[in-house]
Amino acid sequence: MSLVIKNLHARVKDGAPILNGINLEIPRGEVHAIMGPNGSGKSTLSKVLCGHPDYEVTAGSAELDGQDLFAMSVDERSRAGLFLAFQYPVEVPGVTNANFMRAALQARLPKGEELDAVSFYKELRSKMKQLGMDPKFTARAVNEGFSGGEKKRNDILQMMMLNPSYAILDETDSGLDVDALRIVSDGVNAMRAPFRSFLVITHYKRLLDYIHPDVVHVLYQGQIVRTAGFELVDHIEQHGFDFLKTSEE
Amino acid sequence: MDSPQNISMEEAFALAEAEAKLSAALLESKERFSKATMPDRLNEDWRFGRPHVYARELAARITAAGQPRQAAPLEQDDDLRQTEMLMPTIGSDALLALHLEHFGTGEAHYIEENTTTPLHVSYTAATALTPSTFIMVAPGIRAEVEITYTCADSSCIFATCNIQVAEGAELRVRVHAEGHGTDARCMLITNIQNMGGKVAHLTSYKSLRWAREETVAETYTPDSETRLFSANHLIGEAVLDQHTKQIHHSGGATSDLLYKNVLADNATATFAGNIYVAPGAHHTDAYQSNRNLMLSEDATVNSLPGLEILADKVRCSHGSASGPMDEEQLFYLLSRGIPHYEAHQLIASGFLDEAIEKFNN
Ligand SMILES: Nc1ncnc2c1ncn2[C@@H]1O[C@H](COP(=O)(O)OP(=O)(O)OP(=O)(O)O)[C@@H](O)[C@H]1O
Ligand SMILES: [Mg+2]
Repeated sequence: MSLVIKNLHARVKDGAPILNGINLEIPRGEVHAIMGPNGSGKSTLSKVLCGHPDYEVTAGSAELDGQDLFAMSVDERSRAGLFLAFQYPVEVPGVTNANFMRAALQARLPKGEELDAVSFYKELRSKMKQLGMDPKFTARAVNEGFSGGEKKRNDILQMMMLNPSYAILDETDSGLDVDALRIVSDGVNAMRAPFRSFLVITHYKRLLDYIHPDVVHVLYQGQIVRTAGFELVDHIEQHGFDFLKTSEE
Repeated sequence: MDSPQNISMEEAFALAEAEAKLSAALLESKERFSKATMPDRLNEDWRFGRPHVYARELAARITAAGQPRQAAPLEQDDDLRQTEMLMPTIGSDALLALHLEHFGTGEAHYIEENTTTPLHVSYTAATALTPSTFIMVAPGIRAEVEITYTCADSSCIFATCNIQVAEGAELRVRVHAEGHGTDARCMLITNIQNMGGKVAHLTSYKSLRWAREETVAETYTPDSETRLFSANHLIGEAVLDQHTKQIHHSGGATSDLLYKNVLADNATATFAGNIYVAPGAHHTDAYQSNRNLMLSEDATVNSLPGLEILADKVRCSHGSASGPMDEEQLFYLLSRGIPHYEAHQLIASGFLDEAIEKFNN
């Protein structure tokens, strides 16, 4: 059981190529990290996996537990167990957080079965408490007027409610204050399980010190150019990405 | 009207003067109706699509149904008729004259005590109905009114509503018109006179083949606050034709309008709004916004916001925006596993909720 990406090429619709042959395998139970310079394609990779309409896959494949990811619609991918915490979570005016979460959970139930409202709210409240979110956020429109850090927490809340098998966190740590970083990391660590894997995209060692990934990749110009253990994080923290440029020459 | 006993000389004069003004106005309105012509396509207030055809069909349906004179208690009759004769329209004088002629049912409510639950006024048409409603809220009183119009298939309602709000009063009016079957039609002419109170007015139209709204909101004293809202999800062949006027006779008052529609299928929405700030009505705040969410490429929107400002130090804004669903919002919902249809519904009702929330606030 794993997420397997083979030779993935993708571009902005009718535009320039961004992903140039990505190969990546993330078995369930493992935590992987992706680092890489700005603009190297990290967010694009995560959005392509979820089926964002801005991009088109020009070659390659992605399989989620053996299922062809690209044959599924966006919502099907989510229900199949894929989750993305966005680098920039979107504001959805008029749709309350509670209704949003309810609809997402309802969609996971068999036809004809109704979500139990009482236990839903109970669970939502307790997860919000765990993330240090004010209960008032249930009635607020999704991310509307939320601070940067509040948006990030809200995405993590969604992850906790939806219990995905594969969770991608795209720079969830950016914009979080020190306490929130710890809370979110604790949340992720608490969700670590043999049946679940994480792909954590970040620029900072801080987060990885908490989460401690099993494998670290470096994405550069749309390709995975390095894969190693945690020592790679230390190396990047000290020397930056200069090694990419020297190896190019 | 009862003539009050024991009044002072000045009061008697004022009363006589008011009555003279009223009869002059009534005379004027009779003349106005005698000159009025039925809507045609050359009339500016009946542009876009073929609303004048609908108007003529409405008139025909009402005439054919005859005069279902009923219900309204006699003493209310006069007040309803009188206010109706003075009602401004937006291109519908001839239709209003027809309404007066066929005026059959109505309710007049003088609200002099705070209401804890909304006052319900409801009208149901089997063939054609021409009701008239009059609501007056006394100074400092808080009230809530819900007016519901229900049309059977192939029936129509042509309604008028006069609202007067006194100083310091607060009134919230929710108007809902709903049709059954495929060819129910509805036309509402509303006049809101704000004399220093707070009014919030919300309209919504559902399952109607054709609906026309003419809403004229007049503010007569400073500190008046009038807020107009509309929220509609139009589907199928529905045609909604909304015309509004925010008239500031006096300065220092506020009016605000937010009309929102979600359009699917072949639906059409026309919005023509006008803000008029009279000479000398300085320090007016007046806003107007029409927003449409287009779910279908076959839906049509005609939006004409307008301003006419004849005073100084006025803060006014008007705007209209129509566009398809935000791709990023939709993707966000889909990416959480919410199916396409539900995601559309959530965003569409969320879009309309802004108007409903502001009305409720
Ligand atoms: N929708 C788009 N339209 C045009 N260009 C795009 C689009 N999406 C991504 N790009 C471009 O593709 C490249 C990769 O962008 P991406 O957001 O994936 O980078 P990233 O690795 O996530 O960077 P960062 O670390 O700054 O978040 C950038 O040059 C970006 O400008
Ligand atoms: Mg990024």
